[in-house]
Amino acid sequence: MSLPKRILKETERLLADSPPGITAAPKDDNLRHFDVTVAGPDSSPYQGGVFKLELFLPEEYPMNPPKVRFLTKVYHPNIDKLGRICLDILKDKWSPALQIRTVLLSIQALLGAPNPDDPLANDVAQHWKDDEKDAIAEAKRWTQQYAQ
Amino acid sequence: MTVPSPTSRPRTPGSEPDLFFPSSDSEDDIQFDTSEPSSRPVTHPTSSSVPQHLSSFPSNRSNGNHHLPSSQDSDIVIVDDPPLFPSSAAGPSSLKRSSPARSPSSRIPSHFVRGYLGEFVCEGWSLSKGKGYCSPGSKVIFERPKPIKVGEDDSRALANNKEKVGPARLVNGKVVHAKIKPAASKQITLGAMMKKPSMGTNKKGPTKPVVDQIIRFRNERGFEIGRLSVTEAGFLVHLLDTGVISLVGHVIDCPQILATGSTILLNVKVYLDRAAFESVEKEGRKEDGSGTFWQEQQETVEEEAMRKRKDALGLLFGRIGVKPLQSNALLLAQKKNGSAVINEDSLRHFDKKSGNDSSSQIKKRSPSPVKSVGSGSKGKTSVRNSDDEGEDSGDEAEKLNEEQLNELDAIYAKAQQGDKRLEETDPPATFLYTLRPYQKQALTWMNARETGDTSVRDQSLHPLWEEYAFRVERLEGAPIEIEDDDAWIDPSRKFYWNPYSGELSLTFPTSNTSSKGGILADAMGMGKTCMMASLIHLNREGDQPPEPTNPGPAEEEPASKRPKFTQITLSNQWRPIPTVTRPIHVPRATLVVCPVSLASQWHEELGKMSEKGTISSFMWYGNDRTDLDRLLLQEGKKRVDVIVTSYGTLASEFQKWRKIKDKPSYEGGSIYDHEFLRIVLDEAHNIKNRTALVSKACYELKGQRRWALTGTPIVNRLDDLYSLLHFLRLEPWGHYSFFRSFVTVPFLNQDPKALNVVQYILESCLLRREKTMRDKDGRLIVDLPPKHVDLQILDFSRPERQIYKHLEDRARRRFIQLDAEGRAMSNYTSILAMLMKLRQCVDHPLLVLGKNSDNEETGDKLLDADSGDPASSVKELIAMYAGGLKGNDSNDANSEYALQVLKDIGEAEETSECMICSNEIFDEVLLPCYHRGCQDCVVNWIGSCEDQGKSATCPMCDKGPLVMSDLRSVQRRRKRINPITGAYVGDDGLPASQGDTAITLGKVDLVSSTKLRALARKLGEMRVVDQEFKALVFSQFTSFLDLIEPTLTREGIKWLRFDGSMSQAQRATTIEEFGKKSKEPVVLLISLKAGGVGLNLTMANHVFMMDTWWNEAIEQQAIDRVHRLGQNKEVYVTRYIIKGTVEKRIMKIQRSKTALVNASLAGGAQKDKQTSLADIKKIFGLDEDNSDDEVF
Repeated sequence: MSLPKRILKETERLLADSPPGITAAPKDDNLRHFDVTVAGPDSSPYQGGVFKLELFLPEEYPMNPPKVRFLTKVYHPNIDKLGRICLDILKDKWSPALQIRTVLLSIQALLGAPNPDDPLANDVAQHWKDDEKDAIAEAKRWTQQYAQ
Repeated sequence: MTVPSPTSRPRTPGSEPDLFFPSSDSEDDIQFDTSEPSSRPVTHPTSSSVPQHLSSFPSNRSNGNHHLPSSQDSDIVIVDDPPLFPSSAAGPSSLKRSSPARSPSSRIPSHFVRGYLGEFVCEGWSLSKGKGYCSPGSKVIFERPKPIKVGEDDSRALANNKEKVGPARLVNGKVVHAKIKPAASKQITLGAMMKKPSMGTNKKGPTKPVVDQIIRFRNERGFEIGRLSVTEAGFLVHLLDTGVISLVGHVIDCPQILATGSTILLNVKVYLDRAAFESVEKEGRKEDGSGTFWQEQQETVEEEAMRKRKDALGLLFGRIGVKPLQSNALLLAQKKNGSAVINEDSLRHFDKKSGNDSSSQIKKRSPSPVKSVGSGSKGKTSVRNSDDEGEDSGDEAEKLNEEQLNELDAIYAKAQQGDKRLEETDPPATFLYTLRPYQKQALTWMNARETGDTSVRDQSLHPLWEEYAFRVERLEGAPIEIEDDDAWIDPSRKFYWNPYSGELSLTFPTSNTSSKGGILADAMGMGKTCMMASLIHLNREGDQPPEPTNPGPAEEEPASKRPKFTQITLSNQWRPIPTVTRPIHVPRATLVVCPVSLASQWHEELGKMSEKGTISSFMWYGNDRTDLDRLLLQEGKKRVDVIVTSYGTLASEFQKWRKIKDKPSYEGGSIYDHEFLRIVLDEAHNIKNRTALVSKACYELKGQRRWALTGTPIVNRLDDLYSLLHFLRLEPWGHYSFFRSFVTVPFLNQDPKALNVVQYILESCLLRREKTMRDKDGRLIVDLPPKHVDLQILDFSRPERQIYKHLEDRARRRFIQLDAEGRAMSNYTSILAMLMKLRQCVDHPLLVLGKNSDNEETGDKLLDADSGDPASSVKELIAMYAGGLKGNDSNDANSEYALQVLKDIGEAEETSECMICSNEIFDEVLLPCYHRGCQDCVVNWIGSCEDQGKSATCPMCDKGPLVMSDLRSVQRRRKRINPITGAYVGDDGLPASQGDTAITLGKVDLVSSTKLRALARKLGEMRVVDQEFKALVFSQFTSFLDLIEPTLTREGIKWLRFDGSMSQAQRATTIEEFGKKSKEPVVLLISLKAGGVGLNLTMANHVFMMDTWWNEAIEQQAIDRVHRLGQNKEVYVTRYIIKGTVEKRIMKIQRSKTALVNASLAGGAQKDKQTSLADIKKIFGLDEDNSDDEVF
């Protein structure tokens, strides 16, 4: 089945003019499946790291949100061991007016602003709450180890 | 043995055998042999090595046929024939060659006396005692009891024979011995036999069957020596008695002193006598006439005789070792392709009864014998189907399965492989169009078919015949020469045998026949009409200078060309005399029968193609049909050359005529009383059903030349072809029992042979080219612009899907229930009605309620049934759907929005990108928050939120909740076109300049459908690119066309309508209007059924198929209205399919072709229900592999 025009347009735009610190390119065999990298935001524990993600546009896109997960291990209260992301716009706050670009920017922002009050990885969230400094140090370590 | 004297006239009916007698006594020449060569045509000077088979085989004497070669003897020279006559007269049992009808003359050169077949060795038993009767090398004469009856008798026929045969006769043996010898001139023919009685030898009661099987031989002095062994005699008896063969024997070895029962070894030479080649035909035709045509007759006596003859000849050929030079060109062709194995297999089938193993040894085909035979031979090859086992015609003809249909393509291709090399013929100057090369080739072919020139195409041997050659008889003492199998064989030595009917012929039996005309089956859009018109121009007057009337010697090939074998030469002089009797007024008119929708097109095209005053056509249909006779007699300016009529008209005329024709008061004047020069059936598959009235109406037409034009000569069963052949009067295939025996029945038995035979038939009478064929230089013969097919798979809007799902679930449940109860068959119609509803719903939900649908009642039942369903009924759903329109919208609200809108977006850029689909907004709607989007997108978004159980909000600003009724449509009436005047008008109805933009807000029109919107959108896009495009929009539901109309009007697109409810005149006007140059886009809305065939609409190059028809071929036809000759733009086809609906499954079935082709689902024939049910299950997704249904 042919690709909706909207996806083509978004892809073109992403390739031609990607947001800073973010790259996204569709795979050759499936244009709905993107390889994504997101640079850790400055002044966050993830600074200096480059995180790999995968993004998939379901058949119903844009009526339904894209599916996104981290491939690189991340120490973050809203991202679990499997790379799943807890982000409202990827769930019930999705709007068809959002795009791949905006989704990825949101994820980048999430890295810069962990929210342990709405955790996905409970142990990490707890760590964050109990000892934020240590948790941040752990996150930096992970970034060093996995995201270089 | 008999040596026919060359000079003797073949048969003189009157001559009696008696003559024989005396002569016999007088001479016995011994030198038979020597004399023979000279006298006998058959014998060829060169000696051939004749395989000798030791088989003991009773030689018989030739009876009736022996022609006495009498060169020297004055005695009886021509004896042979007499016997035949009597025999035929005597009983029905006689061979077919009915004496009166004998047309042998047409096929047998006058000087042909007999041909040498070969020799074999057999054993005989002495009946005499003593010495001196014979010695090695001495000649013997074979004889049979009375010739007369003999013909018939085989053991079976005995009863008849016995009685008739005089008892005395039986004995013949004794007397006879006579003059076998050529020298003697007397023959041993049957005549001889007759005499014998007088001689009085014998005594045996003639009646005994046993006697009948005995073949005695005597020496030249007339003393009976012995008889052939019984086992051998069997098959010779019949042949001798009927005069098919004659024998000459020599003693090879024998005891010096004979004792009764001692073995005598004989060498027997076998000759085929003239009588063998006499025509046996006519039966078929007669039957036709008599009306028994359709029934298989029982085996008549004649048939029985033929059957025996056939069997006997088969055995004889086997015994002598005669092998066919060519058995079936088919076989050869396939051998070339390396698929010989299959062929032989299939051939074996043919051979089932005949003893000869012809199939396995086919020699190289000798250079076309055709030429020598000349056109004269194309005359009727008479083939009797004496041996067909075919049952009476069932109607149950099987459909071709997919594989076979594919095979059919290959057959077409094969049958046509030589056609690239056809010469090109230029049409006369009165024909104004320029023909393409392939059309000129067709003209050559058609012209040849009409005038009888068979040389244009290589001919292949008639599939049922085998080619043999007479051997060259070895002279006594001459060195034995090994005949090279591959050596070129003088055509004059050739003869042909039909192992199925037992017939023999000296002329080349081609697949062609005397019928003039054929099937022009070029693929659609290649200009069949045009080619036929050129033919009408080319042969305007028919056989004016009646060529066939001078069969004279002029046409005979100079004998000098083949001096050696003059005797056997087939001369052209025997070309058949034309059977068509010419009325005083030479027929010169062409009758064109076509579907009513094409009638005016024929009329117009003929007018355009013809120089003024040359060919004029007249449309003869409707209620005011003028008197044909008067019409056709008009001369000068009013002269009419072509009558165009419709199948319907013809059928009603036929009915009328049938009723009154036999009444004494009938005065003629019907179209059936008029003989036409040429009859042309356009879209001839209209008569594929041979039992339909319209088909019979076509068969009965009188015409010298018959043509069938159709792109699909075989629609879905081989019998389709039969009807065309019958119309063409193509012998023998036009005979139903024949066709059935050789095609239908084998086909039912899965015998590949059936298709082989079809290929033969096609080769002879059908010309088919496809657009993809290439000419001899490798170029495409038709250079059509490319065609792009875009399959658009669309998704229902939510409300549509709800309605559809509801409908489908219900239909499916009902079907399962019916099926479970075993009542599916009896409720077949209502099931079809349910399917119809589903298909309509896919187009537009409102169609389900439409008054136009065929099965209103059942449909409603479907809708109302099932009240147990808690969900809202379909009607309610649809009401809600339609209600979106009528809802709560008021002008107050409208004005409030208007102000805002004008302020906020007013003259801003006209359209912007939709926030959802990122395309230019289509069907713009305004949300309460002033965000805008496509109607589809927004409605889908709202629906999708509902599905997830949350309230929808604006995608941009999250403001909500958002409900459908809050939406307002924004209309920019930039280019509204008044459908009547064609001028641009503004909102106020006043003419507006093109640039004017008016914006209005309105209620959202939800009463649209996915397909409709997709179409409108596509047309809108096209308009941007091409200001003047023309497009066709096909739907099978006129009610859907009704809904498309207002949408187009709203979009400002000009449209025209073409459907079955319009009169012929209206249709013509519409087409003409559509063809006019226009500065704006024009869309023609066509109902698939009315406009799918024949029309030429090449002015358009866009086609939209709004829905899916059961049969892909129909859709293809529709597309070919545009993609055909004359189209010079690229063609774009767009098909709309809705995801996850019956349409997809229908397409799947379409592809597998095994399906319910027209008849069952589309037409209403109830026959194939069972198979159709299986397909319906598939459509409901109830078969096993529906896993991928929802994928697309």
